Amino acid sequence: MKTRIFLPLAGVVLLAWCGCRTSMNTVENAQKEGQRQMVSDQRVITDTSLAKKVSIVGINQAMTPGGVLKVQIELLNTKRSLQRFSYRFEWFDANGMQINNVASPTIPDQIEGGESKFISSVAPMPACKDFRVKFIED
Amino acid sequence: MKKTVLLSLLAAALPLIVGGCATKAHYIQTGGRESLVNVNQINIQDFIQAANDATSDLLKGGVLDRVANPPAVIAISRIVNNTGQQIDTDLLTKKIRVALLNSGKAQTTTTMGLGGTAEDPMAKGLQQESEFKADQKVTRTPDFTLSGKIIQTLAREGNTSQSTFSFQLSLTDTRTGLAVWEGEKEITKQGGRPGVGF
Repeated sequence: MKTRIFLPLAGVVLLAWCGCRTSMNTVENAQKEGQRQMVSDQRVITDTSLAKKVSIVGINQAMTPGGVLKVQIELLNTKRSLQRFSYRFEWFDANGMQINNVASPTIPDQIEGGESKFISSVAPMPACKDFRVKFIED
Repeated sequence: MKKTVLLSLLAAALPLIVGGCATKAHYIQTGGRESLVNVNQINIQDFIQAANDATSDLLKGGVLDRVANPPAVIAISRIVNNTGQQIDTDLLTKKIRVALLNSGKAQTTTTMGLGGTAEDPMAKGLQQESEFKADQKVTRTPDFTLSGKIIQTLAREGNTSQSTFSFQLSLTDTRTGLAVWEGEKEITKQGGRPGVGF
């Protein structure tokens, strides 16, 4: 009798578990035309759980035609389930002073299991020379 | 007797319980993670995100750098609200204006507006007066106009409702009448309806 109840229940749990764990496959051109200008980074990890799940693969930067710094960060979800997080870009001038930007949002984002994705931002003014990105798990 | 004591204790404890449940007023970061999210409303964080996206896109494209006399001058045109909510579109445009001004790439005119109405009538009056005294036109014609639309798309299935807010913006070159930059930011929110409502 117990087995009769337990087996369908286990099936339902297994289905639910599988349903939440979908991983992404990707394909891209092997011979790349574009060259990414990678920058060395400095990390402060206080949430090791998030850092393990959503890892930072690399950072590259470029200048826009108007002389404004553009930064792109590649993230990889090392897990098989969807991860939610928020991030926020901060910008600094040549003296290391933070530039206050009226439209500097905390952006909620999500990344599918096994997915590699890019997040990017453009500096609010040409005077911005450095940046910092904060990540927090949702 | 026992009942009266019990009732008195309960009556005394009730305000404490109710008071304890109430959220104490406190400050939060505007647009931060603690901000309230409504499915059917544009929240402040949505405006900040849309404005940030539009500004970044404008700076990235370099369209503002292509004017003869930088910084570019922008006039704010019509921003149509096609949502079910009454909103002040300045919540979007002002953020873009401030960000563009701070970037040094563009300035916004406050003496020219839609239908000839000036945002700052006093400045317009003083400008006309100085033009009259100098006997020459000093007003700079805007290089671009900024117009747009905010659209809400609703979807519902069972107890789950979803809203997509599309922030569509166009920057038009006033010499040619052509849109030289167009941006669209979509923000989708999903949530369940409360089972019990008061």
